[in-house]
Amino acid sequence: MTRALVFALALCGASVAEAQWNVSFGATAAQEIAQSRVGTTRERVSGLVLGAEAVASRGRFAARLRYGQGRVTNDTAGRDVAEGEALLGYKARPWLTVWVGPHARTFVVPGQSDRRWLLWSGRVTARGSLFPGRVESFVELWQGVTGSLNRPAESASGGGAEAGLVLRLARHPVWGRLAYRIEQGRVSGGARRETVEAITLTIGYVPVR
Amino acid sequence: MDPHRPETDRRMTRAVALFAVLWLGALAVPRAASAQASAVVLAQATRAYDDLEFDNAAGLLRRALAFQGADALLPADAARALMYLAATELLRERPDSARAVSRRLVLSNPRYRPDELVFPPEVLTFFQEVRRSTPAVIGRAPADTAIRPGAEALEVRLYASTFHDVAATLATGDGRVVRTLYTGPIADSLDLHWNGFDSTGTKPPPSGRYTITVNSLDRQRRVVRILRLPLQVTQGRVDTLPHPAPPADSLLLPERQPMGPALRALAPGALAGVAIAVLPSVVANGEDASGARFVVGGTVTVAGIVAFFSRHPGRAISVNVAHNRTLRDAWRREDAEVARRNTERARGMLGIRSGAPVLLTPEAP
Repeated sequence: MTRALVFALALCGASVAEAQWNVSFGATAAQEIAQSRVGTTRERVSGLVLGAEAVASRGRFAARLRYGQGRVTNDTAGRDVAEGEALLGYKARPWLTVWVGPHARTFVVPGQSDRRWLLWSGRVTARGSLFPGRVESFVELWQGVTGSLNRPAESASGGGAEAGLVLRLARHPVWGRLAYRIEQGRVSGGARRETVEAITLTIGYVPVR
Repeated sequence: MDPHRPETDRRMTRAVALFAVLWLGALAVPRAASAQASAVVLAQATRAYDDLEFDNAAGLLRRALAFQGADALLPADAARALMYLAATELLRERPDSARAVSRRLVLSNPRYRPDELVFPPEVLTFFQEVRRSTPAVIGRAPADTAIRPGAEALEVRLYASTFHDVAATLATGDGRVVRTLYTGPIADSLDLHWNGFDSTGTKPPPSGRYTITVNSLDRQRRVVRILRLPLQVTQGRVDTLPHPAPPADSLLLPERQPMGPALRALAPGALAGVAIAVLPSVVANGEDASGARFVVGGTVTVAGIVAFFSRHPGRAISVNVAHNRTLRDAWRREDAEVARRNTERARGMLGIRSGAPVLLTPEAP
């Protein structure tokens, strides 16, 4: 088993060593709608969340960092939200990438302690080309393998999905993404759920090497 | 090196040459001696004729004409002997005999004309009358030839003794007429042509023995002479060329934009659009999802549809159409050429061997 693992890591290392790094950065604006349900109590807030992301890939391997923060409100209440993820990916096929890594979201309410969701997720992203090299669509599904909510302290589960369109400009290192995202975290067998929807618009940049 | 060798070689060469000359001479001498015997008799006869010793001349001439086989007179000498004999008989006041001899001469060689410096005018006139009253033809055909029916023809040259009508046919061995070759007058000579076809004019007759029959007609349209030229007709084997195969599919280019790439462009957009529509029920069943997602889903779907039509599925590819048309036209031309050549070959070559012509006289001499 150890030998097989060493062999697999050696293969991965060789693959990474042969290729070169590709990096891109992006700035995201998301209109988020967060719905909290505790028992029969419901709360719905919405607002703008701004964020950034960075994706680095080399060969078949990739890493993705996303972070965003903003404020979601309704007529009676408001809260700050910060969210982020750190994922490692492997391109099983040119159109299919598998990701693993943590995904966290924190709601900050004045006068109360923060409520933070943390989920370790496994993800699959499939891409399809509409106009080769210019426009492609994608669908990403993820499922929390394990997770926790800090207040009340409980183990959490959840999952989510994201789908949309990526547009790359010809002869320019700029890209854009329009996507719809929905996630849900659950604790206590679903008695407490928080669902977040977002329509995101991302403008990205690929540094010219 | 032997210094005497060149001299030895020269002597040897001379010896061989001398031997060859002697050998060839030995072969030629008997024939020459035989022909010489009849020619000597003919020479004696002509001297006797010139000395007005007509009885002696007649005897010598008949003797010269009597030689057979290898000793016989050459055809030209035989014709000359007959002419001398006809003149002798006429001058001996034996017109019937002279007419018979003259007729024999005309039938053996219708083209013969007596020398006006040798024979007196009354002999010339007499022979001309006999010739005019003895319509006959002889024919000459290639001994062995081959023709392509319809495209080429067998040529038989006819020589006539005098102006008269002839009817030429090609007939089978049992007399059935295969094709009428000519009906009409003949003056000095006439070329008969047979294009190798039977009476239908479309196909050659089967292999076998045939006869070209030329009937000489008198003024009453009676057959007075029949020339029969035997032919052996053999149909050649017909080899047809194989038709060229049509252009292979691997050589042809698609003439219309395929549907596959267009569908492969449509599918990601459509699937992503549908996914956006149904994701809330999968991920957050029971929640009231925002309708704003349809904006994103619709955008993705429309992009997919645009991508689909940008591939122009089903549209003709003019360059490929022209390329394929060039290939197909070349194939059609080649196929038509093969068909034409096969049609030509189907007629086949016709081998024709002609035998010695025979001249028959149905009437009493």
